[in-house]
Parts: sequence; structure tokens; C-alpha cells
Amino acid sequence: MTDMLRISIPLTVWIAAFSAVYGLQGIICSDLWRTAGLTTGQGRIALIVLGVAAVALQVAMQVLLRRPRFASPLPWVQRVATILAYVALVATLWSFLPVVSTSLCL
Amino acid sequence: MTDKPRMTALRLHKALYPIWRNDPGWKGVLTTVNNNTIGNMFIIGATGMFLAGGILAMLIRAQLASPRSAFMGPEIYNQIFTMHGTIMMFLFAIPFFEALTVFLLPGMLGTRDLAFPRLSSYGFWCYMIGSTIMIVALLAGVAPDGGWFMYPPLSSTAFSSGINADIWLLGISFIEISAIGAAIEVVVTVLRYRAVGMSLDKLPIFAWYMLVVAVMILTAFPPMILGSLILELERAFDMPFFQAEHGGDSLLWQHLFWLFGHPEVYIIFLPAAGVISMVLPVMARTTLLGYGWVVAAAISLAVLSFGLWVHHMFTTGIPHMGLAFFSAVSTLVAVPTGVQIFAWIGTLWKGRPEMHLPMLWILGFFVTFVMGGLTGVMVAMVPFDWQAHDSYFIVAHLHYVLIGGYVFPMIAGIYYWLPVLTGRKRFFRMGEVAFWLVMAGFHGTFLLLHWAGLLGMRRRIDVVEAGSGWELINLLASISGFVLAIGFGLVILDVAVNAFVAVRGRRNPWNAGTLEWATPIPGPAYNVASIPVVNSRYPLHDNPDLPVQIARGEGFLGEPVRNRRETLAVSVARGEPEFISVFPNNTIVPFVMAVVTSVMFMAPVFKWYSLMFIAAGGVTVLALVWAWANGSRRDEGLLDAGRGVFLPPHTEVAYPPGWWGSLFLLLADSVLFGSLLFGYAFLWTVAPNWPPPRILQTGIPGPVLALAGAALASGGIRLADRAIRAQGQPWPGLLASLAGLAALVAAAGTVFAGTTYNAHAYDATLWVIAGYVVFHAGIAGLMVLFLLGRIGAGYISSRRFGDARVVRLWIDYAVLAALIGLGGAWLPGVLS
Repeated sequence: MTDMLRISIPLTVWIAAFSAVYGLQGIICSDLWRTAGLTTGQGRIALIVLGVAAVALQVAMQVLLRRPRFASPLPWVQRVATILAYVALVATLWSFLPVVSTSLCL
Repeated sequence: MTDKPRMTALRLHKALYPIWRNDPGWKGVLTTVNNNTIGNMFIIGATGMFLAGGILAMLIRAQLASPRSAFMGPEIYNQIFTMHGTIMMFLFAIPFFEALTVFLLPGMLGTRDLAFPRLSSYGFWCYMIGSTIMIVALLAGVAPDGGWFMYPPLSSTAFSSGINADIWLLGISFIEISAIGAAIEVVVTVLRYRAVGMSLDKLPIFAWYMLVVAVMILTAFPPMILGSLILELERAFDMPFFQAEHGGDSLLWQHLFWLFGHPEVYIIFLPAAGVISMVLPVMARTTLLGYGWVVAAAISLAVLSFGLWVHHMFTTGIPHMGLAFFSAVSTLVAVPTGVQIFAWIGTLWKGRPEMHLPMLWILGFFVTFVMGGLTGVMVAMVPFDWQAHDSYFIVAHLHYVLIGGYVFPMIAGIYYWLPVLTGRKRFFRMGEVAFWLVMAGFHGTFLLLHWAGLLGMRRRIDVVEAGSGWELINLLASISGFVLAIGFGLVILDVAVNAFVAVRGRRNPWNAGTLEWATPIPGPAYNVASIPVVNSRYPLHDNPDLPVQIARGEGFLGEPVRNRRETLAVSVARGEPEFISVFPNNTIVPFVMAVVTSVMFMAPVFKWYSLMFIAAGGVTVLALVWAWANGSRRDEGLLDAGRGVFLPPHTEVAYPPGWWGSLFLLLADSVLFGSLLFGYAFLWTVAPNWPPPRILQTGIPGPVLALAGAALASGGIRLADRAIRAQGQPWPGLLASLAGLAALVAAAGTVFAGTTYNAHAYDATLWVIAGYVVFHAGIAGLMVLFLLGRIGAGYISSRRFGDARVVRLWIDYAVLAALIGLGGAWLPGVLS
């Protein structure tokens, strides 16, 4: 099962981060955020921090997957896991782009 | 190899057949647990549903062929289009690929059956009974009529007061048991039941696709099942999950539905892609180009598809940034789809393609699916979607994707595997005529309907107004639709005629390299006479004598010395032999349990709640009977698996198949729970009329009971597990576990006591969370009692402790769900 986890973790982390960013954006645009005395500008900063953290996590997984301790002993699994880690990194960068490029709560 | 005299193929067949055969006559239909028989029945059932859905499609086209048609009124029309979508999505598309998988997968993997044969039977009968109920409802005029995605408030009691919506909500949830069951079967089978040496890089590509699809089913279906459950609770008990005036929000349904609904598109497409990846290389007389890339593309597509659901909700007023997230992923998902398309084109390029009938259908797929994919990219753009939403452009797009991307490859697959399914060689040539009729009819219908949509024709309207400019388009689309129907009818007729009266064929007529072609055709009940050893993805190309070696018993388990149904379980990554799995014999229990389950689901439609509880009790008793039949009362030690290898039976390993099945069932369960927590957070954040007028006061007893219960339940089962392995007394640990689970139920009880179930969406949500905790603690408690009974009856020993591990898994899950769920319920009280 460890090899299946190697294959599946990067994209699973992406979908978790994606859900977290979407959820946070929902909270920022809700009354809860204003009630807590926070501004939309702070909300955008929170989203950017979360987005950067998600990218950093994906980069960290790229590095870890290459370490002998975490790499698969099966070359084919290692290759597929690496491809999928790149896919997760690109998906993170692309899908989080709206955090810095679109209006927040309109 | 053993030193015993080598068996001949015929002797081995004569030894295996009595062990694996079905019961004779009609009894055999009800008691069979064999994948070939169930797969065949499943295929016939799903084809019947395709016919039913097709007839409804023709009724729709008849209605829309002329302006202001009086063919049927809006009440009937609403039922017809709702049932067309429901049947095609839930009763045909998913069951059909499951059926094909149930039939083909064991042979393809070189094993003797799916991991849980009784689950195959139970899933099949749930599907057949549920489908029959839906069709009877249609004939009785009480079929669902709110569209196949059943949006509230249209499907709420205020606007759908009859039983129509209840039939959809409960009927579809019941049928989904079949999908969840099949998914668990497929995951465990692909991971653990394979030929020896079939490491992850040597899996047939179809198995990879089905593994991905099965995990998608386990993670995509639960949100919709939860949505159906809470909408039914609202309809039956006025728990206001979707009523804005009481803190509910109808958008919650859309989120839950499309969390299922969009991955569903890929759940349907990926099996078809798996079929293409199997058939195309054989037709091109080569091997699949970029196997690793295709696997990576399938996994990417599967995960990315979970980030798309809001693109069905672009017009609901979600802020632009939210839309942009989903628009971005909607464009991204085209990349892995493109990787697969290019891998297939590359495969054609490097091979020497032959134009057989399966190839014709695959070419039809390429043309149609690429067009559907391109309109998909168009509607992924928010501004375009705002214009095209809920128009016939969308109807045309989804039919291009679903028929072009699913039905055409499946027909290719049926023609390709016809010899395996029927043992016969295709003789009658109606298939080619049918192909051209379908292609002409399909594009004549749906290409034109794009145009109608761009001219503003809304989906689901029951009349075409004179002077609207859509009349001629609809007339031509209807004529083409009937041509399409004739084409599909001819395909079914062609397959049926060839299946029953064509001449017997020879093994492996396509010269394919995968293991499903290694057995006699049609495959015997035991699939493979011995478990082969493989060294590549195309073992029949490496070793043309492999079929004979398998038939002679030169693989593993080549001699049925223990006179029972046995197969081999292997390690996940490398495919090394790990233990001998003993399968159950023919039994009526799955069929009876499916009947009783149907009563449990359908009784609430008529508000017969007492009957529902009686049936639930019946299901529980039958489940215990089912589980009791597993296992052994004696330690067997290492058994001869053939080829000089000795392995334990599955009863003597720490993590038996039941543990693996439970693990993946709990994966689906946890997604359902996660969806419930998402709903709670969504309502709190987005819905109007929050915060609720009264918040649950946490108090001291609830959290204390929960923490103490969690410690006792988890600690107790660990003590018992240790005692069993050390030949000590497990009773104290198990009793501690029971006490802990009772404390969790009491902790949940404080939530019930502090809220009123129908006062506000907040209260209703807390009742469902607490109910979830009680339900899981109850199941875990029953399992502890079951384990006590098993210990008393001698099924458990220091070597046979797998049952305890299964119970431990369920207790741990119940504890985790209780801590998270009740913690979430109490948190607002703490913060306030």
C-alpha cells in the first residue's frame, strides 16, 4: 500500500488545499469574517498565505519523493509518482491563480 | 512444481467444476455467487435499462418533433425526461461498466473470482430490484418528475407533494448500494487478487482504470447519498436543511449533488477509456504507447474531476473568485484527457491498424468525443456558460460526451470481448450497418441541438412554440433520433443473435496478449484452472503456451486437494503470493438480504416506518448470518499452494479480505461524514438566518462521556486483540469496549436532548451528526457482541484473530467520528 500512497498523496494534498482555499474564500465573504472584525484585504492576505503554503507543500513533496527514504524501490512506481507530483504542483499553481488575479467577493 | 503426477487439463476441469459450479436450474440464478453468471445477468439487466431509457428518449423526441405537440401533457413529460436521465445515468451507464468489470476482471487478472463473491450477488440483486421499482413507478404514473438532479425547492414537499420525489431519493440511494459494493470488490480485487508476478507496472490497463474508477465511486457517491438522505428527512419530518426561512439553503443540495455529479461524468468516461486502451492496441497489432503516462493521466483526471463541481453552478451567484477556481480546474482537466487521446493516436501510429468492427466504434468515439470535449472547454468558460446554461447547447454537449465518450467505446468492448462473453465468433454482419445508422442518427440529432440551444431553446420544455425558430431543427433532430434508435436497436439485435446462434469460436481470435484470453471460451466458473505466473503486461505474447500450462494446473493452486473454492492473494505492489483466500459457496443469503433491504428503503416512501425498522432488523440478522459463515474453527497452518510454496489461509492472517473490504467501505463512509461536516460549515457560513436562535449548551457530561467512551472503546479492543494473540482472556477488553461505545451513544444523546430536530437547519444538522455517531457506535457494539459469539464458538484463536482486527477498525472509526462530530456540535456552544 505504501506505493499506492506514494502515487496518490500529491494530488490528494492538492484537492485538500483546493477545498481549504475555496472554503476560506467562502468564510472571508461571509458575515462571520466581518463579525470577527477582519477586513477583505486581510482575507486576501490569508488566501495568499494559504496558497503559498500549498505550493510549498507540493515542492516539499517533490523533494521528499526523490529522497531514498521515501522513494519507491520500484522504478515504474517512482516514475509515475514523480509525474503525478508534477501534475499536483502545476494544478496548485494554476488553480490558485485567481487568489491574486480576481475580485474576492463580487 | 510439486512431485505429484501432473494433471491433465480435462482431469483438472473435472475436479474444479463440481466445486465452482452454480446450483442447477432456477435455484442457481438466485444462489449464484459466480462472477461470470452475475456479470452476464448484470449485462442483460443494464441493457434492458438502456432500452427503457431509449424508449423514453424517443417519446421526448416525438413530443418535440412538432410545435405545440399534444402527444403528452407536462405532468407526463416531466416524468419522462426525469426518468430518461435517471435511467441512463444510474440504471444503465454505471451498472453496465460494473457488469462488464464483474465479468472480465478476474480473468484479466488471472484469478478465480472477485474478492467478495456474495457482495457481487447482493449488489446485482439490489440493482435489479431497485431498477424494477423505478420502472413500476413510471408505469404507475408516480415516477420522479423533478429532473434527474432533483433540485430543491422544486423537489421539496411544497412543490412535489406526492411520492414521486421520495421514489427517486430512496430508490436511487438503494440502487447505489450496488455501485458501492462493486467498487469495494474492484479495489480489493485489483490490489490483492492477481496472477503471481503481476506487479503494479504489469497490471492490464483496464484494471488500472477500474481501480481509479472504483476509488472515485467510493469518494463521489457518498455526498449524493447524504443529500438524498437529508432531503428525504426534510420531506418526511420537516427537518429544514433546504428551507431558507429556517436557516436551510437549497444551494447545499446543488453542492452535494454536483460533488457527486461531476466526478460521475469521469466515472462514466474512464471505464470507456479503459476499454479503448485494451482494444485499440490489439486492433493496431501493437502495445499501448505510454502505459505509465496513461495511468498517470487517468489518476490525474480522477482527482482533478473533484475540483470541477461548481462549474455546474456558475449561474447561482457565487463570487467571481469562486467561479475562477473551478473554471481554472475545468480547463486543466482537458490536459490529462488530451494525454490519453494522444497516447491512443500514438498507438495507432506505431501499429498496423486493422479495421474490424470494434475499431470502427473506436473511430466513432474519437470523432464524437473530441467534439464533445471541445464544447466542454467552451462551457468551462464562465461568460459562455452564463449564455448557454440550461439550454439545449448543454443537452447536446452532454450527449456528445456521454454517448460518444461512453456508449461507443462500450459497444466496441462488447464486440471485442464477445467471444469471451459468449464463446461464439461473430457471424452476422448487422453491426456495420448499425454503426453507420448510429453515427448518422447521432450527429443528425445532437449537432443540430447545439444550434437550437444557441438560438435560446431551454432544456426540459415540453412544447416547441410555433414561430420560435426551433421547429425545423427539432423536427430534423427527432427524425435523426429515430434513426439513432434503430441503429442502437440493431446493435442489440446483432449482439443477441450472434450470442445465441453464431458458430463456436476459437480461443483468442484477436491474438491479444492479456489473460482473459487464456481460458477456454466462454470462461469456466472457476475462470483459471491454476493461478498463472506472469512476467509482463502481455503474458500471452511472451508465452503462447501459457493457456495450456494454466489448464494443466502448472500455476499455483493447480490441484484442488482441499475441495473448496480457493484462490491466491498477492502483495499489493509486487504481486508476490501472500495467502490463500477461501471463497464462500453458493448461497441464497445475498438475494434474501437484497429483498429485505429493498423493503427497508421503500417502506418510508409510504410512511410505513414500523415496517422499515422491522426490515432493518432483518438486514442486521442476515448480515450476521453472512459474516458467521466466514472463517474456520481450526488452525490449518501453512497450506500447499503449489509450485513448492506454502501459504496460510486467509483466516490466519492479520489483515484478512474482510479487513480490506471494511477499510474501503469506511473510506466511503468517511467521505459521507466529511460531506455532512461540509454541509454544517456551509450552512453556518453562507445560509440566511444564521446564527440560529438557540445554540446547544455544551455542559460537562457530554464531553466527559465522549472522552471516556473513546478511551474505553479503543483501549478495550486493543486489550482484547492482545489477549487473543497471547491466548489470554479477551472478555474484559471487549466488555470495556462495549461500555465505551455505550458512553459514546450517551454523549450523542446529550445533543438530541439539547436541540429540537425541526426548529432550525442547525438543530436538524446536529441531529444527523448525533444520529451518525449513534449508528456507528451501534454497529461497532454489534460487532463486539458478534466477536464474543465467535470466540465462544471457537472461530477465534491466537492464529485466527483477523475478526478482531476488523472489529478494531470499526471501533476506531466510530470513536474518531464521535470525537470529530460531537466536537463540531459542541464547538459553537463553547465559543459562545
